[in-house]
Amino acid sequence: MEEKILLKEGIDIDLKGRGGDTPPAEPNINEYDFFVLEEALNLDREEIIEQIKEAYLKGRGGAGFPTGLKWEMALAEEAEQKYMICNADEAETGTFKDRYLLENVPFKVLEGIIIGAYAIGAEQAYIYMRGEYARPRNVFSKAIEEAYKQGLLGEDILGSGFNLELRLIKGAGAYICGEETALLNSIEGKRGRSRTKPPYPIQKGLFDQPTAVNNVETLASCREIIRIGAKEYKSLGTKESRGTKLVCLSGDIWKPGVYEVEFGQVTIKEIVEEYGGGTRDDAQLKFIIPGGASTSILPAEKLDIPYCYETLAQAGSSVGSGAIIVVDDSHNLFDLMVTVSRFFMDETCGTCFPCKEGNRQVNHILNKVADKGGFSKEEVEIVKSIGRTIYLSARCGLGQTSLNFIYSILKNYPDEVLLGGDKHGKD
Amino acid sequence: MVKINIDGQELELEAGTTILEAANEVQVNIPTLCYLEDLSVYGGCRLCVVEIIGEEMLRPACTTEIEDDMQIKTHSKKVREVRRNIFELIISSHDIDCKLNCLTCARSTNCELRDVGEQIDMQEMRLDAIERNYVDDSSSHSIVRKPNKCIACTRCIRKCEEVQGVGIFTKANRGPETVITTFKDRGMGNVDCTNCGQCIQACPTGALHESYHYNSVWHFLNDSSKFVVVQTAPAVRVALSEGFGEQPGTVATGQMVAALRRLGFDRVFDTNFTADLTIMEEGHELIDRIQNDGQLPMFTSCSPGWIKFIEHFYPEYLDNLSTCKSPQQMLGAVTKSYYAEQQGIPPEDIVVVSVMPCTAKKFESVRPEMDKDVDFVLTTRELIRMIKEFSLDMMNLAEEPYDKLMGTSSGAADIFGASGGVMEAALRTAYEVITEEELENLDFTAVRGTNGIKEAEVEIGDLTLKAAVVSGLGNAKELMERIEAGAEYHFVEIMACPGGCAGGGGQPIPTNQEIVEQRLNSLYEIDKHKSLRKSHQNPEIKQIYAEYLGEPGSEKAHELLHTSYVVRNI
Repeated sequence: MEEKILLKEGIDIDLKGRGGDTPPAEPNINEYDFFVLEEALNLDREEIIEQIKEAYLKGRGGAGFPTGLKWEMALAEEAEQKYMICNADEAETGTFKDRYLLENVPFKVLEGIIIGAYAIGAEQAYIYMRGEYARPRNVFSKAIEEAYKQGLLGEDILGSGFNLELRLIKGAGAYICGEETALLNSIEGKRGRSRTKPPYPIQKGLFDQPTAVNNVETLASCREIIRIGAKEYKSLGTKESRGTKLVCLSGDIWKPGVYEVEFGQVTIKEIVEEYGGGTRDDAQLKFIIPGGASTSILPAEKLDIPYCYETLAQAGSSVGSGAIIVVDDSHNLFDLMVTVSRFFMDETCGTCFPCKEGNRQVNHILNKVADKGGFSKEEVEIVKSIGRTIYLSARCGLGQTSLNFIYSILKNYPDEVLLGGDKHGKD
Repeated sequence: MVKINIDGQELELEAGTTILEAANEVQVNIPTLCYLEDLSVYGGCRLCVVEIIGEEMLRPACTTEIEDDMQIKTHSKKVREVRRNIFELIISSHDIDCKLNCLTCARSTNCELRDVGEQIDMQEMRLDAIERNYVDDSSSHSIVRKPNKCIACTRCIRKCEEVQGVGIFTKANRGPETVITTFKDRGMGNVDCTNCGQCIQACPTGALHESYHYNSVWHFLNDSSKFVVVQTAPAVRVALSEGFGEQPGTVATGQMVAALRRLGFDRVFDTNFTADLTIMEEGHELIDRIQNDGQLPMFTSCSPGWIKFIEHFYPEYLDNLSTCKSPQQMLGAVTKSYYAEQQGIPPEDIVVVSVMPCTAKKFESVRPEMDKDVDFVLTTRELIRMIKEFSLDMMNLAEEPYDKLMGTSSGAADIFGASGGVMEAALRTAYEVITEEELENLDFTAVRGTNGIKEAEVEIGDLTLKAAVVSGLGNAKELMERIEAGAEYHFVEIMACPGGCAGGGGQPIPTNQEIVEQRLNSLYEIDKHKSLRKSHQNPEIKQIYAEYLGEPGSEKAHELLHTSYVVRNI
């Protein structure tokens, strides 16, 4: 198997630093050629957007909204000030691809931000970075500083007449702040909680001005689309899933890490076995979580499907952030459920009642269940009905997806979780 | 216009209408908790979610605007299931560990959670109660906060910030640990709270209530060595009856007096009497300031919420405040001096209780500048509790008059309970004192009504008196900004609560604009039908000056009826 290289091009160290003797060298701006940026700034805004639309790029943060469409709408908005925001608050469990990009190819990300800002007509940009990301923050702060010195930020970038100010904002550790409207509140200095939509950020975002919020990987991908052209980018992948995706492989496998895969060309099973080197200690693979803890699990027997948006949707889950977490059969399902539930209980912002109270109750029930070693049928029904209620009525994506993991465990392993039922697992 | 179908009813409404408003048009009241008219929309409780045909997710009716051809189901199976589940979740962490919490709650008779439970037909409780074990905030003299009953709907935050312009509350922590609290968790008594109690009016549960004095009052009513005197504020008489099932605005003055005697009070006086006295003192103070180049504009000083507000936020204007005590404090002061002397009762044996539409009056009564004038302050709600505990069929009691010496009042005093009433009462007297002519039209309609800021110019002889009337502290803030920007007035009346005392924080729940207007109308009706409508013509007022105080503004009057203020930090 070979990795299709777009985003990872230019990274020659590839985790050499991990556990090794010398940390990877910091990227040097003088060794980087900003020719893609230069090319982009020579294009009309509409031309760039047309390229991104033609490439059919979907947002890589998790929701999968078409990036070109987002930019087109942002450009169409009339306002005195517009904002481009790079969402680097990567906090979905098992996700570390944005960190990888920020640490290793910060200039690609920077180009993506500038190109995006230019395309929508924003002269102000922010990168909102997860608080715990100390090294990426150091690397990227330096990149911004250097870029100002080299005329890549500030006034009249590369003589194009385009001006852009970019600021880095450090998050303070709240998962909810990765949700785009909560992120906007956080930048404004307000409590990190989601806003009611509509109005969408495109219409009324940061400081009530039109704002495009894009994920780190998305923006880096835009840079790649401009580099190789929409036609070539589009030739990669499948009809609904164009291009490549960074997959964060973790869990009970031999070789965790960030891998770039072309959509539709490899199966999940191959990703786990060939990239990941298979499960550790020859344990039996039980299931994977394909896109972080907010996505539904896929049991071992359903992994022989090509990795792309459409097949994962058919299988009842989603690509999410690209965090594939591999779980072998040595774990206690109740422990896993309690852990995931605890995460969502702690991280719900506390605004909407179904999410705040629902996650608390589910955690309470799961703790009881874990203590006695199984669910009663009634408890399964209660958890499912709370799950459905949160899904249908929560204010934002955090709540809506918060019970996907637990719900899918209940659905896939009914006999194992029920009290007195047959227990196939070795718990 | 936008065409929609809601529960099978076709209708056309203006763009921008929310689903919640649209449902009202077809007589459907979708249940809500965090929604409150006049406040910004929060969209947190999700109880108002509805189904839009063709969409999987439900949408909140309070924040969703109608779109063309929308097919809305406000009570589909899916919606009803979700609503019940949300409600069950709310209840489970709402202090229901079955220590009879509902029965002992401040809101046992008017809890919005109970209303919603009935509305959505709550049939079972499958979830465990989750105890939260927060500590009550009893730091304030006026208001108690019980965080275990708080559902974090933020109505108090929004009311305090958006309507009152104060903003003492905030949300802290994340997830289910999210709580409403005050700056650095200091407690309501240690922050810039004005004690106005509008947060209580906004709260759907028993998480906020006044600091109760009625148990102490029961104690002294049972102590035969004490002479317990009670006074009732103007706005109480038009609201008390709501506690006994009457329509808002039903007047129950005589029944209230009778009930107070049955409860055991030795004398029942009318705060209206000292409202008239206030007009005498404050009216003369105003004339003096105008004629002798005093500090102008002069601000009224009857509303203790407003007093604390200006002390916190505009202390540089303290010299503009009238030095007159409020009618509540004046009545306490003259009871323990004038009345005590007249009747030969040792002042130390007298306990003065007042019944107020107000929570800030509790704080006022313990201000060191006038400590001991008034011993206990009951809200209208507390008096309702006491009368109910005595099992009195209040509305069928034979009406009784107030006690002599401090029980007679003019119509001008009745309208003290309304925003604009103090102004109007003062104008009636000032006009006649300054011009020495009889005022023909007593109704100054320009200063009536529930508008937050009202302005008027009144010709009094050679003087064109510029007046402003404000209710609601958010509006007070706006007026102060106008004054700072150069607006000039002679006399400004400010009341902390929207609509004036009729909408006070101690009034029966619910108190909303419609109800406040009904109470106000009744106050003006009382005034209209009185033959005595000017404070200076009140015979008991003439008597107290003749027998005790001398002239308005005399040394004696200053000693008893005037006070001072303090600069507070923000």
